[in-house]
Amino acid sequence: MVQTVMTIAAEDEMPVGKRRSSLIRSPQFSSLVILIVLLAVFAIADRNFLSPLNISNMMAFLPELGIIALGMTLLLTAGEFDLSVGAVFGLAPVVVMLLVQNGGWDIGAALLAGLVLCIAIGAINGLIVTKIGISSFLVTLSMLLVVRGAALYITQGFPLKSWDQPGFFVTLLAGSFNVGSFRFYTSLWWFIGLSLFAIYILRYAKLGNWISAIGSNRNAAVARGVPADAVKIWLFIATSVLAGLAGMISAFRISAASPVAGTGYELEVIAMVVVGGTALTGGRGTILGTIVGALMLRAIRNGIVLIGVPGLAYNIFVGLIILAMLILHALLQKNAARS
Amino acid sequence: MDVLRLQNLQKSFGSVRALKNASLTLREGEVVALLGDNGAGKSTLIKAISGVFPIDRGDIFVRGEKVSIRSTRDAMDLGIETIHQDTSLAPDLSIARNLFLGREPVNFGWLGVFAPLDLAKLRKAASELLKRVGISKKLDADALVSTLSGGERQSIAISRAMQFAAKVIILDEPTNNLGVEETHGVLRFVKEVREAGHSVLLITHNIHHVFQVADRIIVMRRGEIVAEQIVADTDLLTVESIITGADMSALLKEARAK
Repeated sequence: MVQTVMTIAAEDEMPVGKRRSSLIRSPQFSSLVILIVLLAVFAIADRNFLSPLNISNMMAFLPELGIIALGMTLLLTAGEFDLSVGAVFGLAPVVVMLLVQNGGWDIGAALLAGLVLCIAIGAINGLIVTKIGISSFLVTLSMLLVVRGAALYITQGFPLKSWDQPGFFVTLLAGSFNVGSFRFYTSLWWFIGLSLFAIYILRYAKLGNWISAIGSNRNAAVARGVPADAVKIWLFIATSVLAGLAGMISAFRISAASPVAGTGYELEVIAMVVVGGTALTGGRGTILGTIVGALMLRAIRNGIVLIGVPGLAYNIFVGLIILAMLILHALLQKNAARS
Repeated sequence: MDVLRLQNLQKSFGSVRALKNASLTLREGEVVALLGDNGAGKSTLIKAISGVFPIDRGDIFVRGEKVSIRSTRDAMDLGIETIHQDTSLAPDLSIARNLFLGREPVNFGWLGVFAPLDLAKLRKAASELLKRVGISKKLDADALVSTLSGGERQSIAISRAMQFAAKVIILDEPTNNLGVEETHGVLRFVKEVREAGHSVLLITHNIHHVFQVADRIIVMRRGEIVAEQIVADTDLLTVESIITGADMSALLKEARAK
């Protein structure tokens, strides 16, 4: 018999230095570098970009999309996505305010009803995707229409005045505070807190191991006894609830609940997530990358206007920058696979 | 001691009888090769044992006790681990995380799925395991599975099965798509698995591999078990003729006579 030398191991050993370079080559790192470059370019091009007022403005918007992006990152890592988040962002505050204004409900009870509604929407998405086996693209696209349509119908298309009396819930969701000449909202704390929790889940918790495994190779995960369907359903619920929370934060901040609020947010959020380096195909997710991606998209939208790109041409630039980021990630990925 | 005994297993898909009265026995520390052409019923048989779908009729005994296997989890809990060709590992996870997927060591277990992984223990157990199975020299427990070769992946999957003290390890075409050297590595690994006291049911197309590692050969044809041979008492031609149903040695004699 041929000599059975143990040659299963890789041909070339991994040098020690490679680990450091793998961090540098990681998608979230390249996104971070580009974010810094972009911030520098905008700061040089227009002085007002780094003014306290402008930074305060960016930080007011950031958490609202960022919070949804956290849920979306986990969902994408598990191999699914949710197009109904923008619609839920619009519907949740509309329902809450209708219950308060027309139904005479207590604001706390109305918020609880809104929460239950978001849980229900997420659960329906998740159940149809996992139990009937329809792709999440189709299911959540239909849900987008249903939810947005519901918001328009129950309001007859008119925006509602939101809750503007100061109180516990307004302070909790949309209170503001000043740090020097910067003005921040409590939503920033929500975003920071939820980000830390999401990082913990994805990197350190047993659940995160399951989420990545499901997105990476669902059959393998199921064969090891991982309850893939249940995990996905709960992730759909979490994403819906986060979208509803973001909608409430926004409605309280601007004191209005519009049935068309959040239109197009689903794509903006998915862009934030993939620009940060999370794979659209599942298995590879990074919360840090998503935070960078959220900052980047907000900075681009803000900076492009400041440096004087005509308003109507603005989406061209946003689209091109996103495309450039994705090409960069794809090239890095290819490179990593080759080495 | 019989680790696994199958008695008159039957399974039909519509009008197709994929398994007709299949019976076989697997003893402790034995490598049994399951051979047969495409469509002979090999994969139906192993899917039935590993809980992918339930059987229509027949009995399964594990260590003499009658059991019912309704899910992959049932099979795993009974100590039956199946390693499919490419579907056993999650490529985006590290070796360590793959080894313990679904059975992760955690701190604060009362937190349920939110419990933090015991990363130190995970890494230590993974390195020990890699060392024990002889592939520690060059593999880092933190390396992503996507960076491994096919043979390395097979070995990781097999060592994972060993680690949970599986009584029966089912290998479905473990050497498919592997290079020559990698194939030898995996076959040597199968022998080590046997030496460690596990029983192996090996499904393969490659008869030469069978003669290198198996103790017994079971041949299936059209949903039935048609022959059983002790490897030491048989030869390649005999087995090949049983598989195809043609008498190869007679053909060969004829050819020589000419």
